Amino acid sequence: MTVEPIRTEVVVLGAGPGGYAAAFYAADRGKKVILVEQDKRLGGVCLNVGCIPSKALLHATALLREAKESEKRGIAFGAPVLELEKLRAWKESVLEKLGQGIRGLAQRRGVEVLQGRGYFEDSHTLRVETDRGQKFVHYDTAILAVGSKPALPSAFDLGNKRIMTSSEALDLEEVPDDLLVVGGGYIGMELGTVYATLGSKVVLVEAMGSILSGMDADLVRPVAQYAQAAFREVRLNTKVSKMSTSGKQIRVILETGGEKKEELYDRVLVSVGRVPNCANLGLENTKVARDDKGFVRVNEKQQTSDPSIYAIGDVAGGAMLAHKAAKEARVAVEVITGEESAFRGVVMPAVVFTDPEVAWCGLTETEAQARNIAVQVARFPWGASGRALTFDRPDGLTKLILEPETERILGVGIAGHGAGELISEGVLAVEMGATAKDLAETVHPHPTLSETLMECAESFYGTSTHIFSRKKPVKETPE
Amino acid sequence: MDIRLPQLTEGADSGTVVNVLVQEGQKVKQGDTLLELENQKAVAPIPSTLTGTVTKIHVKQGQVLSVGQVLISVTEETGAAAPAESGAAPKAAPSAAAPASVLPAGPTSDFEYQSASGAPPPASPAIRKMALELGIDLRKVRGSERGGRITTADVKAYLAQLQQRAAGSKTPAAEKIPFEKWGPVTRKPISPLRKAIAQAMVRSWTTIPHVTQFDEADVTALLKQIEKHAPAYEKDGSRLTLTTVLIRALVPVLEKYPVFNSSWDEAAGEAVFKQTIHMGVAVDTEAGLIVPVLRNVEKKTLLELGRELPALVEKTRQRKLGSEELQGGSFTISNQGGIGGRHFTPIIHAPEVAILGVGRAAKGLLPLALSYDHRAIDGADAARFITALVERLQAFPDQEIRR
Repeated sequence: MTVEPIRTEVVVLGAGPGGYAAAFYAADRGKKVILVEQDKRLGGVCLNVGCIPSKALLHATALLREAKESEKRGIAFGAPVLELEKLRAWKESVLEKLGQGIRGLAQRRGVEVLQGRGYFEDSHTLRVETDRGQKFVHYDTAILAVGSKPALPSAFDLGNKRIMTSSEALDLEEVPDDLLVVGGGYIGMELGTVYATLGSKVVLVEAMGSILSGMDADLVRPVAQYAQAAFREVRLNTKVSKMSTSGKQIRVILETGGEKKEELYDRVLVSVGRVPNCANLGLENTKVARDDKGFVRVNEKQQTSDPSIYAIGDVAGGAMLAHKAAKEARVAVEVITGEESAFRGVVMPAVVFTDPEVAWCGLTETEAQARNIAVQVARFPWGASGRALTFDRPDGLTKLILEPETERILGVGIAGHGAGELISEGVLAVEMGATAKDLAETVHPHPTLSETLMECAESFYGTSTHIFSRKKPVKETPE
Repeated sequence: MDIRLPQLTEGADSGTVVNVLVQEGQKVKQGDTLLELENQKAVAPIPSTLTGTVTKIHVKQGQVLSVGQVLISVTEETGAAAPAESGAAPKAAPSAAAPASVLPAGPTSDFEYQSASGAPPPASPAIRKMALELGIDLRKVRGSERGGRITTADVKAYLAQLQQRAAGSKTPAAEKIPFEKWGPVTRKPISPLRKAIAQAMVRSWTTIPHVTQFDEADVTALLKQIEKHAPAYEKDGSRLTLTTVLIRALVPVLEKYPVFNSSWDEAAGEAVFKQTIHMGVAVDTEAGLIVPVLRNVEKKTLLELGRELPALVEKTRQRKLGSEELQGGSFTISNQGGIGGRHFTPIIHAPEVAILGVGRAAKGLLPLALSYDHRAIDGADAARFITALVERLQAFPDQEIRR
């Protein structure tokens, strides 16, 4: 039996935040679009096993911390009752609502959703294994948006469900007494926070000398302080040398500075990075080229080495962020529809939803030092913010990275409660090429945390109302 | 991947292929010369931006290319120079930096944005997108806002500057289009007059910021007056026409608003106000548009104008005008009413600063279109001018017509 191929202008493989954004935008621009997704629920990692469920759990569990904190302010609630099943169901309902929302939007735009695994037969044909058999899609242009998955080094892959990646950890099967988190990046820190709040004794190990490695030290400090108090232990410069099953526990050999320690944990969360989903896609049947880490190589127009295939999001490398994928989706579609467009000079914000949150955009102080760029840094500690004190969280910092000659804002960093929401003003400032003066001259409402951005700019001129500085900060020149 | 023709320098956005130096199947390295391109300034080598094997050559010798056109397709070698850094998230460095030095810089902006931190020039995302679409290098645009931030106005000023420079230099050779391909054609050489008109029009259009003010005058009464008195003029060897009346009607208005009778002397930085009114009159000839000048119309009666104008028009049509008779106009009138058009936007006859276009009256309403040089004249003045003219035409003094 021969199968008549489905003809389409654009096929998008993968319905994550990059893929569905690309499909919708292409449809909005008049293209006939097919969106292929292997999972039943659209939304990809972000919606199903990433941003959304982790934030739902962080929100739900934050209340536990707040309630406890509240006791010293004279409002006590007593011991909380935890119903894991209900918590899971609520989280699931959020995901379902969002997944349905995306499906509805696809329908209204006339984007055909094909559920099944896609496989490239050649540069213009995608075979999709649906539950109703094989379908062939013959397309003009394909957008590869298959994303990434948590890395699980083979030494840790014992086939034991007590060794989890972020995907399983978000299922919240149980709250283990002793949890080892391997990797102090943002995923380990966020999920470590969730489990610690739910009652796990968390030990976090990190191979590097700092958690959230690569981020400015002054922004990491409030998070490190929190983790030191909330986790049983944060062990830096530590590697896992072996893991093995030991009854209902996991035996782990940890190595810190040549010294080995053997410990038992009820569960282990491995959060040591993510790898692209490039296997079994038939990419070898196309001209798509990949780099040595397996990511698909693209140029700034999101074009791969195959003229008919574009790639966006995690699979195309770079920062693995949903909003980066969504921006790349727009670039790819604009290029496909003949508009001049490129992923160039884009200011990409990043947020870590720890407690407190950390967010930054543009140039960081660390990067400026590494690249030997002379910058001036203005800081505003939240201890001087009335708003921060009203909710008892003075553990925050707002900083501006400035170009000395022009006072232009090259980067913004914020650590503190709600930093993720605050950073957008910083993104706009950097995108617009604003100067510290622009920010200082812009009235911010009182009492809000957004004032810290204005006052930070004012402090650069030594005129912040709520901090006293004797003179303008001195120029910081990297060695 | 495709290699496209990069923006070479400002104003040099096309060129002719002199030589193609690679062949299909050949391996090229980044930086290897692919072809040589000639434009009005020089012959320049176009380097490869990629490393790999040439799969297809899309251009041939003699072909005229414009920026963005695909030159060759290359299969990239794995492990060769990566098309995009997969590591760092913000791909900040403008990747098309290399081609800027390919050609010797032409007469472009002398400004170049410099930043110690290596940051691109400060401009909002919307402006950066606009620059990308227009093929503008924002580093060449001087920003006027705090910190050198580039605004829309800065980009417009830069574009105007480019245009002015382009108009100053020779226009690049136009692309040869094979019209015969779509059917039989006849070719005629362009006459020197046509060329002169073309040059004058391009100069006026590209250097003068034109605005056209429209209005209508109720000339029912005026046409009746003309009809009534025309025979008397004819007896005296003169012709009373709407054009001569319009010229007379313009005199007091031009005297009241002398800026419309001025010239804009950019070089001297002066506005030149003329004490006399020399009226250019657009004349349709077989060869094309010619604008002879009627001298001192402020001193002439309708009877005199009615004798001079037909003689001048006749002389113009026979191409017997001396060059003196074509120069020194201070304002121009272009009356298409005799042919039948109604509304149009006349182009100013430089170095004048304004021109009145007149269409055919219908139901007694005469369409007027006043184009003016916005460098010298503001909209309010133009509105006042045209209103005064309309009033004058609607109540043209009978004693001026009566003989």
